[in-house]
Amino acid sequence: MKPRPPAMREKRRYILVRILPYGVTPDQKDVYLSVIEAATSLWGDVAVGLAQPAVVFCGEGYAVVRCRRGTEKDIATALATVTAIAGERVALRTVATSGTIRALRRRIRPIRPLPETGEVTIGGDYFVVYRYPRQKVDLVEKGIMHQKSLFFTETDLEER
Amino acid sequence: MKITDASVCPYPAGDSTLARMALEAVELGFDSLVALGEEDSQSRGLEVLRGVVISAASQKEVIRQVRKPTVRAADVVFVNAGDISFNRAVVSVKEVHVVRNIHATRRNAFDHVAARSAADHGTAVDISLAPIIQYRGRRRQRALQRYADILTLQRRYGFPLTISSGARSILEQRSVRETRGLCALFGMTGAEVSEALSSIGRLVEPARPVRVVG
Repeated sequence: MKPRPPAMREKRRYILVRILPYGVTPDQKDVYLSVIEAATSLWGDVAVGLAQPAVVFCGEGYAVVRCRRGTEKDIATALATVTAIAGERVALRTVATSGTIRALRRRIRPIRPLPETGEVTIGGDYFVVYRYPRQKVDLVEKGIMHQKSLFFTETDLEER
Repeated sequence: MKITDASVCPYPAGDSTLARMALEAVELGFDSLVALGEEDSQSRGLEVLRGVVISAASQKEVIRQVRKPTVRAADVVFVNAGDISFNRAVVSVKEVHVVRNIHATRRNAFDHVAARSAADHGTAVDISLAPIIQYRGRRRQRALQRYADILTLQRRYGFPLTISSGARSILEQRSVRETRGLCALFGMTGAEVSEALSSIGRLVEPARPVRVVG
């Protein structure tokens, strides 16, 4: 099929979102389903159908959501109402909006855990300690599914 | 003008400590936040105010509770909204700064009489983002209706508004830009959001006439 000439193509906008908590690596399709659910619930089928949201990239703790130009504010608002992806509690924080994916890729700063990890017991539960820059410490309960997460700082952990 | 998140519930009520929430709040563009049920309020890179929530059935009970030392020590005193007569009475209590949980009340629980009284006494009404973010369907629609109604009254009578995330986790905190987008859902303009985000400072330290000393 011959592609449309550029002047006849629909203009699009791309929204870069950071996925919280750090270390969560959801599947692109699961991110898409959560975004669509949130957007449809907030704006309805008609508005979301016209906005054509899609997830074009997901990795390194970030996702890029595509939508039609002019609807990016509505989609960004809908992204703020995403509370879970595939049953796991997350938050999507809008970082930037651009007309090209390339510009957004330059804004991606992957946040990786610092090498020193450990274990800690809080209230009789065992937690694995993941340290991140800026003294952030994420505690993930030891287990197989639906582990509880706690969000501390280095100082909070030392005080315990 | 300090941009303030009017209420967060840190660990142990939630899953994030106050220090971690303060770190996130700085990244999200806030200058201060009000922590509910937090005893110590040492500096964590931004100003942390101590908030207390009073749940009562009558104005008498509210007056009794605001005299307690724990409530007196708090920077911001919140009262959970109730029925129409309770709300009309509670906005005139001097020690009460903010009426919250307005989305959970009946439709006309906060009416024009309460609005005028709130404007006269400088009592604020809190708009929590939690119902807009967490709820879906009818419950969210009802919360949006209530907030739109509050906004109409606020524009008419000019009582202060506060905006809170009501976050129990860093995952429930939202940035200033996201707050603007969410408040636009019920018709709040950018200027009104900025005004509401900075109203906690004015409630805690109200403008007083200049006193000439000496």
